[in-house]
Amino acid sequence: MPPRLLFRAARPIALHYRPRPATPFAWRAGEFAKCATQSQCSRRTYAADSKSDDKDLPKSLDAKGPNTDPLPDISSEAAKTAEIMGVEGPDVEQGTPVQEVKDDAEALANLPKVMRDELTGKAKAPKSTREYSTSAIRRQGLEQRGDAIPRGQEGAEASLMPQYPSPIPEPVPGAKFGMPALPLPPRSNLKDRYDPLVKQVTNLLMRDGKLARAQYWMSYILNHLRSSPPPTYSTTHALLPGAPPASHLPHHPVLYLALAVDSVAPLLKVRSARGAAGGGATLPIPTPLAVRQRRRVAIKWILDAASKKASRGSGKGTFAHRVAEEIVAVVEGRSAVWERRNTIHRTCVQARSNATWKPKKQK
Amino acid sequence: MASIPVRPCLRRVSRALAESNPRDTHAHLTNPLRRWTGSTLPRASSSSPFSTSTRLAAAAAASSTRRTGSTLKISRKSNAPTSGGKPPGRGERKAFRKKIVLSNANALEVDGLGELSPRAVADPAAHCRVLALPGAVVDQLRLLGAFKPTQGWKYFRRPATLMRAESLRLASVVDGMAEGKEPFRAIVSGERGTGKSALLTQAMAMALLKNWVVISIPDPKDLILGHTDYAPLPDTEPQLYFQKAYTARLLYNTARANRDVLREHTVSQAHPGLPSSVSPDMTLDRFAQLGARDSDFAWPVFRALWAELTKPGLGRPPVMLALDGLASLAGPTEYLSADVKPIHALDLAQVRHFFEQLAGRSLGGPLAAEQRLPNGGAVLAALSQSERPPRTHTAAVELAVAQNEARAAAAEGPPARPYDRDIDHRVYDALREVRALKVGALSREEARALVEYYAKSGALMAPVSEAFLAEKLALAGGGVVGELERGTVRAGL
Repeated sequence: MPPRLLFRAARPIALHYRPRPATPFAWRAGEFAKCATQSQCSRRTYAADSKSDDKDLPKSLDAKGPNTDPLPDISSEAAKTAEIMGVEGPDVEQGTPVQEVKDDAEALANLPKVMRDELTGKAKAPKSTREYSTSAIRRQGLEQRGDAIPRGQEGAEASLMPQYPSPIPEPVPGAKFGMPALPLPPRSNLKDRYDPLVKQVTNLLMRDGKLARAQYWMSYILNHLRSSPPPTYSTTHALLPGAPPASHLPHHPVLYLALAVDSVAPLLKVRSARGAAGGGATLPIPTPLAVRQRRRVAIKWILDAASKKASRGSGKGTFAHRVAEEIVAVVEGRSAVWERRNTIHRTCVQARSNATWKPKKQK
Repeated sequence: MASIPVRPCLRRVSRALAESNPRDTHAHLTNPLRRWTGSTLPRASSSSPFSTSTRLAAAAAASSTRRTGSTLKISRKSNAPTSGGKPPGRGERKAFRKKIVLSNANALEVDGLGELSPRAVADPAAHCRVLALPGAVVDQLRLLGAFKPTQGWKYFRRPATLMRAESLRLASVVDGMAEGKEPFRAIVSGERGTGKSALLTQAMAMALLKNWVVISIPDPKDLILGHTDYAPLPDTEPQLYFQKAYTARLLYNTARANRDVLREHTVSQAHPGLPSSVSPDMTLDRFAQLGARDSDFAWPVFRALWAELTKPGLGRPPVMLALDGLASLAGPTEYLSADVKPIHALDLAQVRHFFEQLAGRSLGGPLAAEQRLPNGGAVLAALSQSERPPRTHTAAVELAVAQNEARAAAAEGPPARPYDRDIDHRVYDALREVRALKVGALSREEARALVEYYAKSGALMAPVSEAFLAEKLALAGGGVVGELERGTVRAGL
């Protein structure tokens, strides 16, 4: 299988999203290890080991990828069956050109409908009825660089990978450490200082405008995630596809936080249109949320759950400690936040027929 | 510590005096020390004249009969968080605050990580190496309070420290100490986050490895905050005060941390005023535990133990006295004397003992006998920049330290400020001659060794290149080790 990540590129590449089997990290980690040992890559990854390629790397259960051994197409299968049965089957060596079929009325009648539609010009491009993406994907890393993401190509995998610093630039004569990539974005030292999610959580942690205290709490949370034991993944509450093995999470506290927030983030919210159902009843309308909105809701839920917990300690880090414990509880599936998400989704599914409802124009 | 109020609380003292003898509330006016109980803390006394408990109980019994007729019930929304489960147990909340975690199972084992050993203490080639602390020493250091909750031990597999230039300086002191040599007395100074406390930890670890006796006062604030009881020491002029509960705790920790060394030595002389259970062949370990068990004898046992340890000619081990946060002790305390004046820290016997050892001379008064360390040793006092007492405490210490730093660098230091009201002259006089051991920024090689150790233990996920190191050093004030750790290991926001 060709590598799906371009490791030497300075920025992450968007990938097709596809759910993966239970241990999806194996091949990716292997690629990283290979890359690091062959010195093709100037970045050292947590999965890379200088001595052996595959040491301590997680393995797929059946040691087989999803496309390793695909079934043959229907004609080959029929030919093979005919060979076994000793009868004459279809000739797979040479196909039938479409042009020949076009003029053959009998063949045209027996053609599958899709091909017939294609020949007769009736075929239309498949139309998706889905108005919004249903994957909770971290794509801010791409957005903030201004890259256009083709629709449907948002990648959960690329963005879930830890963000490594950019490779060391080539030495420039006269500049000791090379030149920075100019021009720098305006006020980038302030705006792009922290991970977007970390910044969002920090801002939502803030009370009474006390940013420094919120930042202390945020660093407490990340340090707690780093030093607490690896979580036990829940079997009932599925995390985002592409989640790394649990043992990797404490080494990447921001990834840990992102996994918890993005996994529990609701895709929709229920908007109520008063009187739209007639008789004064309100009409629940499922409304999609953008990534940042989803995260905001999830963070609010987590903070809400943490603030309702009883404090077991004293000192200035008690609230942050409870938030950190709630994040671990989310990843382990113990948190009540999951129920809130399920309730929202259930309501939205029940009210799905209202999704296209639009308010009547005022006369 | 935000501030230390120094105003005497007359009400508290008069209540304490009244409690000692409720019938004689004016006894303190005639002879204050006769009735002095030594504690200003309110005591739970059922015979207290101010007790309201019986009255409240009677009122509660009277109101227990249900009122007849209709009552108005107003339900109010409570904003209090709905907390389930039982409330935290006694001491649980403080334990959360003071928790020290010394290992992290997530962190990677570092290949080729050396260990601090008696041989490594003497080895100058250990410079720029990160050395792990042996497990036994870690247990001893824990008892001595050498690890702080704010330090970053919890990010690594096991406690390890960088051998920097200042560490080697102390290592040569510990390694070269012998009976009859001049003890090393110094104030460890430096800016915030430069590693003063960690240097003290290293010094204690090296002393323990060399079979010294280490006595540590990790949090000297406890001595002056008024949280531990105190009493006047009889027959002292000027009046000194001792703190028996604190001394008992100190003896307990000292005895447990130095058990193996103290077991090898026995009591060599008679100590009048101690219980008859002290026999001549008693080991110093048991002797110290005697004082730890019975706090009434804690201070006499501490004095006697010190006299035993500093007796020449018996092959006694060198002694290290360590204290972290000197400026807390440099001024008036929360304790009140009999005439309702704040007691100066130097009038507390435990504090005075340390200051005399640090200064290497008598500060006047009755404790002048054993200030020498004839068997060798070291007295180290670190300053703390994160817990700064008010300027009335720090000014004298900082002036003395600045002058001594300048003297060590053969430069001209700041002049004495005799008219500065914030300068505590008793403290300044005590510390004027003590050498300052200044801890500065890490050198580039030291910083590289440390950052590579961070990367090897998985705490830092980045390649360590020259450019990376230069960036981190620049952001860390040119090599302030605490800031370097914040910028690389911790999620420093």
